[in-house]
Amino acid sequence: MRVPDRLVAAGGYVTRWAADTVGVLLAMSVGTFALVLLARGDPAAVLAATRAGRPATPEQIEAVRVELGLDDPAPVRYLRWLAHASTGDFGLSLRTNTPVGPEVADRLGVTFGLVAGSATVALVVGLAVGVAGAVLPRGPLRGALRIGALLVTSVPAFWLSYLLVLFLALRLHLVPTSGMAGPRTWLMPMAVLGLPAAGVLSRVVAVTLREALDRPYVRAAQARGSRPLSIVLRDGLPNAAGPILSVAGFGIGSLLVATVVVEKIFGWPGLGAYFVQAAGARDVPALQAAVLVMGGGFILANRCADVLHGLIDPRARRSSS
Amino acid sequence: MNRGRARTTLVAVPLVVFVVAGLLAPLIAPADPTANDLAAGLASPSAEHLLGTDQLGRDQLSRLLYGAQISLAITAAVLAISLTAGAVVGTVAGYAGGWVDRVVSRVIDVVVSLPGMLVALAVIGVRGPGVDNLILALALWSWAPYARIARARVASLRDSPHLDALRLLGAGHGRIVGRHLLPLALAPCLVYASTDVGTVVLAVATLSFLGLGVAPPSAEWGQMLIEGRPFLASAWWLAYPPGVAITAVVFASNLLGERLAAGAERPSIIRLVRPGRIRRATRPAASPDPGTVLRVRDLSVTYPDGSASRRVVAGMSYEVRRGQVLAFVGETGSGKTTAALAPFGLLDPSAAVTGSALLDTHELIGLAPGERRRINGRRVGVVFQDSGAFLNPLRTIGAHVDEAVRNAGRGGRRAATRRVSGELLRLAGLPDPVAVARQFPHQLSGGMRQRAQIAIALAGEPELLVADEPTSALDATVQAQLLDLLARLRDELGMAMIIVSHDLAVVSRVADTVAVVYGGRIVESGPATDLIDEPDHPYTRGLLDAVPRPRTAPGTRFRTMPGLAGGGPDDLAGCGFAPRCPLRQDSCDHEPPALQPLLPATAHRSACLHPPTREGSC
Repeated sequence: MRVPDRLVAAGGYVTRWAADTVGVLLAMSVGTFALVLLARGDPAAVLAATRAGRPATPEQIEAVRVELGLDDPAPVRYLRWLAHASTGDFGLSLRTNTPVGPEVADRLGVTFGLVAGSATVALVVGLAVGVAGAVLPRGPLRGALRIGALLVTSVPAFWLSYLLVLFLALRLHLVPTSGMAGPRTWLMPMAVLGLPAAGVLSRVVAVTLREALDRPYVRAAQARGSRPLSIVLRDGLPNAAGPILSVAGFGIGSLLVATVVVEKIFGWPGLGAYFVQAAGARDVPALQAAVLVMGGGFILANRCADVLHGLIDPRARRSSS
Repeated sequence: MNRGRARTTLVAVPLVVFVVAGLLAPLIAPADPTANDLAAGLASPSAEHLLGTDQLGRDQLSRLLYGAQISLAITAAVLAISLTAGAVVGTVAGYAGGWVDRVVSRVIDVVVSLPGMLVALAVIGVRGPGVDNLILALALWSWAPYARIARARVASLRDSPHLDALRLLGAGHGRIVGRHLLPLALAPCLVYASTDVGTVVLAVATLSFLGLGVAPPSAEWGQMLIEGRPFLASAWWLAYPPGVAITAVVFASNLLGERLAAGAERPSIIRLVRPGRIRRATRPAASPDPGTVLRVRDLSVTYPDGSASRRVVAGMSYEVRRGQVLAFVGETGSGKTTAALAPFGLLDPSAAVTGSALLDTHELIGLAPGERRRINGRRVGVVFQDSGAFLNPLRTIGAHVDEAVRNAGRGGRRAATRRVSGELLRLAGLPDPVAVARQFPHQLSGGMRQRAQIAIALAGEPELLVADEPTSALDATVQAQLLDLLARLRDELGMAMIIVSHDLAVVSRVADTVAVVYGGRIVESGPATDLIDEPDHPYTRGLLDAVPRPRTAPGTRFRTMPGLAGGGPDDLAGCGFAPRCPLRQDSCDHEPPALQPLLPATAHRSACLHPPTREGSC
């Protein structure tokens, strides 16, 4: 009953939020395009060489240069690039001379599936451990949760992957070492991505929830006989929502980028693996596509966390515009 | 605190080892990290190779130490660049103010919110791998937090008289920024850098692992793992040391960061799970008077204070009867609120509560949280002081009242619960319950919020209502209305009531009995009329002299008490009020005076050895 009221009241806020988000995404697209300007070497020469199969002649390079419109002023090239990119056309890969767009589209599903799975791990584990850290009395158990959370955030993902492969796959034969076939192959990648994010999230939940539970209205709720679970869910977490949501948004967005390591190790044909290949080959069109998609996803995750906070807490609407 | 500092030092040990190993690698490494010896490939640890050798026969320990060197060099370069650039940018922006500050701040915000790995991968992707590009890629995003810290530090000083003085002395902008502001901004930046080491080390290792950072044959930690990858399962000495090294450095850095961010960790609030250290009292033998709703005996409350402990309420006894109002009166910090809330487990969980508190025949001291929920909200309602803080700002008034109704077991379907809530709000004197229920706490006036709290407190049809400073933040008219409401509720519902207030004149309007609290003890108690007409204790007299009363002659000057309130019950050997008392005598300093009836068989009691009324002085 109350939710529609709230949404109506928040209508203006949501509109402003959407406009802001578009602005941020555009700003990021400028940054992504500007990667071309940072590039060392001449993309035309690289592509011409890829096509010719050997170092290209000046005439071949000039032909590619004209074909790609590289001589136009940067703003013109940006607008043209953006127009094409918005239809999914990112040009030809310098590495393979094939269109980048369809390749990226093919790989998106794998990566988003992986991110969705590990985000679930991060949220469930992070919230559970964080709430425990906030309500437990100071003592060995709480200390262990804290140290454990910090430890999983400190282990490099690639080493954690190796450890899991060594124990779960090679010694215990519980899961295959790599590949993407069947539910069991998802376990290790999801754990490697999700647990560090859960560790970070749990720390924020523990600290901010503990602070929220220290507020007078929690004492008032106890005075009217509310249950601990109800106090955590209704009084504690909503009032701690600001920091928790912003860390969750940042963490989930960062999962997208962290796929570069995990997909490489476990041999998943996703966007992360593509990103690494492109970066290794200085394949600028492919890099731009990967950066735009990953950066866009990252920004959206953060902005969604923002708008959610605004919907939960009316006071947050004023400050974040 | 010393222990905390010692721990912080301990936490930093891996970072120190990292730096020392990195600096001294060429001196302490037993072998050349790039010297191949295929005959000795994949040898397990031995006296000759303490950590074994890799597939090319290179000494693992030496590679690990040189790995620290490479990591340290890159990390130092990245931090030096970002710290310098960040501190300068932030200081200039903070000093300049105006649009420069706004633009720079916006840029900082954007860069801080970017995922670092994405930027690093993109930059290395277009520039190619290599140490120089690695440093550039990492510095490009890691400068921003330093700029933010420096900006905040300098902006807070922008309008300080110190800077004005410098300008008057003719110092130019460059000199002010370079000589005076930059050093100030650098200090917090350096602290942050110690916690940033882990981020950079991890990024360097990850990028090298991806083949985009330090290239072979250099012994970088991430690089070592990927080179040894085919042999990890069989040669544990290749799998563990580099990973352990990275994890230790990053973990130490993260832990240090958390410690520095939190300062000294504060004691936690655990009231939800454990009721703190509460000892069950011995039950009094005497059965209570049937009209007595709450009977408190020898109540003491102690808080831990560093390694020692501090009593804030000492041996208080009081009782309140059905249909009667007991008022606790005293100055801020006297312990009156603590004394009123302690029986219901509403203090900080670190409080140790002893004594006995019988609600009807139920002992309240030492109850488990589950048992408390059968008391609080059902048999006892509490109204807190209004500062808006006792209502959850994110929930409507209706949500609060509905919850109280459900907690009291009077809810049902949503509509039924709402109907009860509406009645409660109306009972509390809110004429339009439906509209009020939809409002958030900040949309109501202080008086309306107090009425809402009263509605919540009444949800369980309690036998006892405890109101802590219910009218203190309100203006006089609203105060009077609320007190009248409380008096009416007492009569209509036959409740017992405890009202805590610093204002004797206010509570005299509704109180049947008054207990005056000073320094954690009751110094005078009795029927309200007796106590106000014939105050015995010098402190009570002081309180009455400090407020206007109906019978005060026009033109009388109100006296204020000299000295400060405060002090616990155990601070002085004798009477706690003695230092401020105009009638103090030497005997007052020996032991705390007991609360004794003024005349045999009267309810009016006072704890004073030399009261003005009985000795005729003053």
